[in-house]
Amino acid sequence: MAGSEEVLEGFLCPICVTDFKAPIQLTKHFEDFHNDDPEILKSLKDLFGKAKKKILKQDEISYSFANSIPSTTRLQRSPESNWEPQEIGMMRSHTKYFKEIRNMRLERYSTETNKLLIRLDKLLNNLPTDPVDRKVHERTIVPWIDDKDVKLCPICAKSFHVARRKHHCRLCGAVMCHNCTIFLSLQDAKKMTSPVSVQDDSAVSPTSERPISERIVRAGIGLTKLARSPSSGSLNSVLSLVNDSTGSEQHFRICTHCANLLDAREKQKAKHFDKPIVCQFYEKMRAYMKEASQHVKMYNKMWESLNEGESTYNLEDAQALRIKIAKLGENIDLISKRISVLGTRCVENPPQDQELRLHHMVRVSAMIFLKEELLSVQALPSEERYAELQKERQRRIEARIAYERQLEEEQRERSKEQRRKETWNLEIRPIMKENQPNVVLDQSQGWGPSSVAPIMPSSMDPIIEQMSNLRAYIKQARADCRYDEVATLESNLKELQSVYFTMKQSNNSDG
Amino acid sequence: MNLITALKFYITRMTEESGPGMKVLLMDKQTTSIVSLLYSQSEIFLKEVYLFERIDANVRNEGLKHLKCIVFIRPTKENIEYLCNELRYPKYGTYYICKYYFNNFQTLRNFKINIIAKADIKLLAESDEQEVVREVHEYYADYLAISPHLFSLGINTCSQGLLWNPVHLHRTVSGLISVLLSIKKCPYIRYQNSSEMAKRLAEKIREVLSKESNSFEFKQDSCPILLIVDRRDDPVTPLLNQWTYQAMVHELLTINNNRVNLSHVKGISKELREVVLSAEHDEFYANNLYLNFGEIGQTIKELMDEFQKKAKKHQKVESIADMKNFVETYPLFKKLSGTVSKHVTVVGELSSLVEKHHLLQVSELEQELSCQSDHSMQLQKIKELINNQQIREIDAVRLVMLYALHYEKYANNDINGLLNLLKNRGVSDKYVKLVYNILEYSGINARQSNLFDREAVAKITKKLFKGLSGVDNIYTQHTPLLNETLEDLIKGKLSLQTFPYLGSTMMSKKPQDIIVFMIGGTTYEESLTVHNLNKQNPGIKIILGGTTIHNSASFLEEIQHATSGILTKYKNNNN
Ligand SMILES: [Zn+2]
Ligand SMILES: [Zn+2]
Ligand SMILES: [Zn+2]
Repeated sequence: MAGSEEVLEGFLCPICVTDFKAPIQLTKHFEDFHNDDPEILKSLKDLFGKAKKKILKQDEISYSFANSIPSTTRLQRSPESNWEPQEIGMMRSHTKYFKEIRNMRLERYSTETNKLLIRLDKLLNNLPTDPVDRKVHERTIVPWIDDKDVKLCPICAKSFHVARRKHHCRLCGAVMCHNCTIFLSLQDAKKMTSPVSVQDDSAVSPTSERPISERIVRAGIGLTKLARSPSSGSLNSVLSLVNDSTGSEQHFRICTHCANLLDAREKQKAKHFDKPIVCQFYEKMRAYMKEASQHVKMYNKMWESLNEGESTYNLEDAQALRIKIAKLGENIDLISKRISVLGTRCVENPPQDQELRLHHMVRVSAMIFLKEELLSVQALPSEERYAELQKERQRRIEARIAYERQLEEEQRERSKEQRRKETWNLEIRPIMKENQPNVVLDQSQGWGPSSVAPIMPSSMDPIIEQMSNLRAYIKQARADCRYDEVATLESNLKELQSVYFTMKQSNNSDG
Repeated sequence: MNLITALKFYITRMTEESGPGMKVLLMDKQTTSIVSLLYSQSEIFLKEVYLFERIDANVRNEGLKHLKCIVFIRPTKENIEYLCNELRYPKYGTYYICKYYFNNFQTLRNFKINIIAKADIKLLAESDEQEVVREVHEYYADYLAISPHLFSLGINTCSQGLLWNPVHLHRTVSGLISVLLSIKKCPYIRYQNSSEMAKRLAEKIREVLSKESNSFEFKQDSCPILLIVDRRDDPVTPLLNQWTYQAMVHELLTINNNRVNLSHVKGISKELREVVLSAEHDEFYANNLYLNFGEIGQTIKELMDEFQKKAKKHQKVESIADMKNFVETYPLFKKLSGTVSKHVTVVGELSSLVEKHHLLQVSELEQELSCQSDHSMQLQKIKELINNQQIREIDAVRLVMLYALHYEKYANNDINGLLNLLKNRGVSDKYVKLVYNILEYSGINARQSNLFDREAVAKITKKLFKGLSGVDNIYTQHTPLLNETLEDLIKGKLSLQTFPYLGSTMMSKKPQDIIVFMIGGTTYEESLTVHNLNKQNPGIKIILGGTTIHNSASFLEEIQHATSGILTKYKNNNN
């Protein structure tokens, strides 16, 4: 930021903040000057796509300028922000009561629905083809109510006459007009009663939070009721019989009430099978985002440490991680782009307005994520620069040690003086041992993961074994991007190596 | 006690409860305002909420079964009906219902809250034939959190005939109860004795506190106090022109849900037709909302100079017009400074209004009228301004209102003469009548009907129009009455006569957590006062609320509404 004297607009290199007027030139510049990182080049090439031009431009220049904003305006500090942390306010759950009521009601429905399904199954079983036989079959399974007493259609409340005849629902046996019934095709009926489907009811339905046993009992209620129901029907409604026989071969006539019950159940079943493609994309994208965020956190830690000239982490590891992050960013970009155009080319079933909005918003959120999380990742120092940084750090440490030593020396002088005075005053005081050597933690006293067994100096083989174990751990940790662990393990390995070395030395001298 | 945090906790809980996956937030008009005050788009995306729908929108589309739907509504009768319908024909995969229960209108008479809530839930449960609902919760997020210490209930005219409109009383009770539950405070209650409305509200609050006592059982280590005051005791503050940024924007451009409409500004670009001013998401605004107009100009100028230094450009920035020019000449500045250029537009608009309507001149006289007593001089100045055709009618009327409030009982006052001047200028009857309205609303007579003797009245008047002391800016001499009330309260010196406790229990300790609520609306000037008190008194936390946040225009409407249907005691003798 300090180096950028002139602020420009255009196709800017995110690394050296120079304007290159056109994307081609910019890419060329990349290949010429930043080719040490081909992977980054590749991913950045993509990030320089038209869509991100704006973001990058703004991001990079603003980096140089925006920092000056807080410095001039950070005057006010809201006193409320200093108030002690608070906990979430009161809440009350009504879920339990809600579910009690709902279950009570649904129990009734599902009992009814189960009854219908069992009847349907029986109707389909050995269904006679002859219309008259079939009618008998139907009426054996579902008793028809006596239509003499029925003056009005119970659904639409219109009166029956020659033009509006009475019909029986094959599932409940009730009487209604033609308009208030529908035909359920035998094919659909078979689908509904197929064993897979029946089983689904308890396994898949969201009511599954209720114990399965309860649902079986519910089905059982349906069964016993059916068993108790009288199997003989009264003989009547010749008219309807004649009428029905005309087109009933491939259908059952059922009333809208029964149809609704069956329909609701089918919908429930369907709900669990249709998980559109967008969900898969989305889940993938979120997983990438999560991974990327974790990596960025790790990377920033490593970046800081490396720029301090510390050797806790490897520069190569950090570079690898940066590439990994760039790749994840690329993936997030790609997936979100795909989500945003999902189905737009589909002609027969184009996505509706709400769906388009959803996809667009997911894309926008991904762009924001890329801009705020990933494009702010800072470049690493080059190897030469890193070496310099390390040297600088070494110098700093040495300077500090020297300074501390000097302080200590002075302190010691002073205390000597003091003590001299004291002994002068109180002669009998035993002279304390001076110059207690500074406790220096020696290397082998260091730390290590608990999984590493204590080193046995008596035998050498376990050490070699340990070392190879450690190498394997390091490899694993590196693959998982657990660089903190890598650092610890590596220092362990070093210790082990030095122990191994000294033992070898002494062994050699012994033998 | 941070109100914004309190509400964000609730919204976070709502979104987390439903687990991972794409979400849609289904809201009503009021909850939409509540949420939009809290979050920016990118923040809400982080919670995986991508769509916002209104429950009362009558578009019936096919729906998206793979979405989780968070329903955040106030359980009004209409909303419950909409929701029942929604559940019968669900558009989304699963539903998580979050709402607030103290506000069903049927509870007005006896607050049988649980019974009513149960009836609603039963209706919903019976509609949920497809078993799409996973959770039903009650959250107390029923107020508009404008800043950490400021809330509003969005009721612009709460009284009628100087008494509570019952619907608004109920809304106010539920809003205040919601505030208390969301920050877990069960307070002592003190109220302004002279105000019938304050007493009524205090009693209603206590009724809920005792009926719902098990909801209010928190461990409290501090002593919270709820102080209920009435706008009628300080009608001056909302009548004045304001010069701190937030208050000024509200006075001249009107802030509605943190949004300012600039579409009337000539040649405004499309993206600036409506600007969002949110201290939560706009650092420049957060740092400058309490600064005065001049200081903001200075800050912007410094930023522009900084930019020029970096860009090696040179253009003089001396005036607000220069600033506007600057933004136009350097589009890059606009990009880099983020929100700053938006504020250049707002500040530019404010400045042109100040100039056009001679508001500095008006404000100077306003301040004199509210802080000093020099009858003949002030009368003379008002007359001059009324006759100055460049002064807006409404500003002239406001000056007469301030004069009337100040000199109502002054033997030689010339209220009628000023009214005649207004009429001669052709000021509409509606405006002229406002002068009577404000005396009705808050004149000395109105206050005399209280239990005060003459001496006390005189003291109160003095409080409102106290003298100038060590104020260097003539435009900001006035401090709201609330400042004094709160200072007294903090010191433990607030009069038990004027602000009695409700009930017999009294607080033994000095208050630490203070919730002030102003019936009839509070102002941003008072919000600044509370902000400053919080700053000056570490260890004491004050939050301020009002039925609404007024500027002078909305306050005049409030007065008009409040005094409608009242037989006026004030007669114009010349008519
Ligand atoms: Zn470059
Ligand atoms: Zn019918
Ligand atoms: Zn039927």
